[in-house]
Amino acid sequence: MADASVESQSSMMSPSIWLEKGFGLAFPFIVALVVAAVILLVIGENPIDIFSLMAKESFGSERRIAATLSAATPLLFTAVATAICFRTGVFNVGVEGAFVVGGIAAAFIGFSLPAGMGFAIILVAFAFAALVGAIWLYIPGVLLAKLQVDEVVSTLMLNFVAFGVTGYLVNGPLLSEVSGNNVTPPVHEAAELTRLMPPSTLHAGFIVGILVVIAYAVWTRRTPTGFSAAMVGYSQRFSRAVGISVPASIILVMVLSGVVAGFGGASHALGQLHRFTDGFSPGYGFTGMAVALLGRNSAIGIVLGAILFGALASAGTTIQLFSNIPLDLVNIIQGTVMIFAVVEIGRLRFLSRRAAP
Amino acid sequence: MIVEQIIAASIVMTTPILLAAMGGLVNRQAGIVNIALDAKMLTGAFVAVVVSSATGSWLVAVIAAALAGALVGLLFSLVITRANANMIVAGLGLNVFVAGFLGFILTWVYKSSGTLRLPDVQLLPHFLPESVSGVPIIGRALAELEPLTVFAWATVFVLPFLLASTRIGLWVRVTGNAPQVARSMGLPQKSIQDFSTSFAGFYSGLGGAHLALASIGLFNEGLTAGRGFIALAAFYFGRDRPVATAMVCLLFGFLEATQIRMQTAGLPPKLIGTIPYLMVLVALCIAGWRASRRKALS
Repeated sequence: MADASVESQSSMMSPSIWLEKGFGLAFPFIVALVVAAVILLVIGENPIDIFSLMAKESFGSERRIAATLSAATPLLFTAVATAICFRTGVFNVGVEGAFVVGGIAAAFIGFSLPAGMGFAIILVAFAFAALVGAIWLYIPGVLLAKLQVDEVVSTLMLNFVAFGVTGYLVNGPLLSEVSGNNVTPPVHEAAELTRLMPPSTLHAGFIVGILVVIAYAVWTRRTPTGFSAAMVGYSQRFSRAVGISVPASIILVMVLSGVVAGFGGASHALGQLHRFTDGFSPGYGFTGMAVALLGRNSAIGIVLGAILFGALASAGTTIQLFSNIPLDLVNIIQGTVMIFAVVEIGRLRFLSRRAAP
Repeated sequence: MIVEQIIAASIVMTTPILLAAMGGLVNRQAGIVNIALDAKMLTGAFVAVVVSSATGSWLVAVIAAALAGALVGLLFSLVITRANANMIVAGLGLNVFVAGFLGFILTWVYKSSGTLRLPDVQLLPHFLPESVSGVPIIGRALAELEPLTVFAWATVFVLPFLLASTRIGLWVRVTGNAPQVARSMGLPQKSIQDFSTSFAGFYSGLGGAHLALASIGLFNEGLTAGRGFIALAAFYFGRDRPVATAMVCLLFGFLEATQIRMQTAGLPPKLIGTIPYLMVLVALCIAGWRASRRKALS
């Protein structure tokens, strides 16, 4: 992580670095495509045909592009939330949990405030989701900063707590009385985010996501806290020596990560599902991690990575319909990308190792 | 009667977590935090069902499941030790990959979505004679005892000895706890870590086999239900000590067994299900607080 963050600081240097960066972005994906191609060959399908079908299904028409961007929307948020922490050397794997609690918080505001408030409901819902997400990740942030509690384990455990608590809420206090199991009531129409290209589900949350990525880019490049957070990621000893407060940086990035993840949950609840359901996130937090790794924490990389994974997801569903290739192929590709995004081969270092906790 | 049922159910529920936790514990002693235990359990469960159906032998099925888990563990380990991948991300990636891979096989080979039912799956045998069910309180647990549970608990009590007093046990602990020493002794650290991860895979595979073959005899995509992570919680809470970890596993098994009963008492099962994870958070806080106090004092 440290290397990646420093490279992004010095990205203007020389063409060879750009080449290496581009290759670093493409390498895990190429490996994943090779793995997928081998599997397709084994089952007697022509990988080229399938891949071109997938490309057509994800970018072939305006409608398909809208579906791809719609699938990419939650990933923009979760990837930024992950990258904020990773570039600081904080191994936060709890974005998934913060996304989920943010989602239920936004849905709660969306259906419980009076419908007459109009657009203001959306603002309140986003603010509340951000607050809940921030508090959610503030806990492991403080534990790491003050007590050196290993953040990998604490955030991982908090994910399961988030699933349990939200699962309880949608089956108990927040259960919709009319729609059966595991769902909250739908949010008011006024609280729904605008659909950008009906009938596709692409909604205004995508624009919010892009704004978040831009804000992230500005934060990393143009603000003192963004710079000092990168320094903490590069070397904690150095940071201490030059007077950067390591605990303050850690807590700050965890809270920011929670805010962004909460926004993501709010966008998904108000824009996509219009309510909260059990199984709200099919692992967006973890896919976002893959996106952040693939994009090596850079803003442009995150947008490209999110669109790539969005394309996989949107193509995956239709490909199952048209060619009876199981949808699970997408998971195989995603898992391979995650594994190979952190592999170091030869002199190409894709992500430096952190000392064992 | 209810007590008997709860004891029997707790022991059955404990076994898969316990097996995975024993593997993960050895792995962590060697310095690798194994986040992919769940993937290996799922692999083991799948292989166990397929092999049990094909051969009609639970023993062959269990061995095949363990070896499959060990193989996945070895490949996972090579990615970490030889290609220097970050163990957390690679572990999460492996979980996604294995779930996808098994789902793919399920859909493509068996034309089924989510659940695999095969004919003639042989379950784990209850090897004690029927008459033991007459024993008070633990009778039912004894009657339902199967070989994997015995094996799991045997491991709990043999492992401390293996870790403390055998050469390979010491090597494992040195590699994880004092890498500098291991390096200066010229130990093959990477190979030791590979061994420990294969060991974790072996035991997780057994855990998966138990999940599939203890009573239901089928495979389901959601069969492990995060038990690999509960096992992780158990050895973190048990601070990598086999007996302490086993006690934590027993507690988690008990919670799982009583979840349904607690529901009738008005306690929501989803909230009960978060207890293992909250316990680990509390344990980590206490450990961190102690360490920081010690630092402040000295």
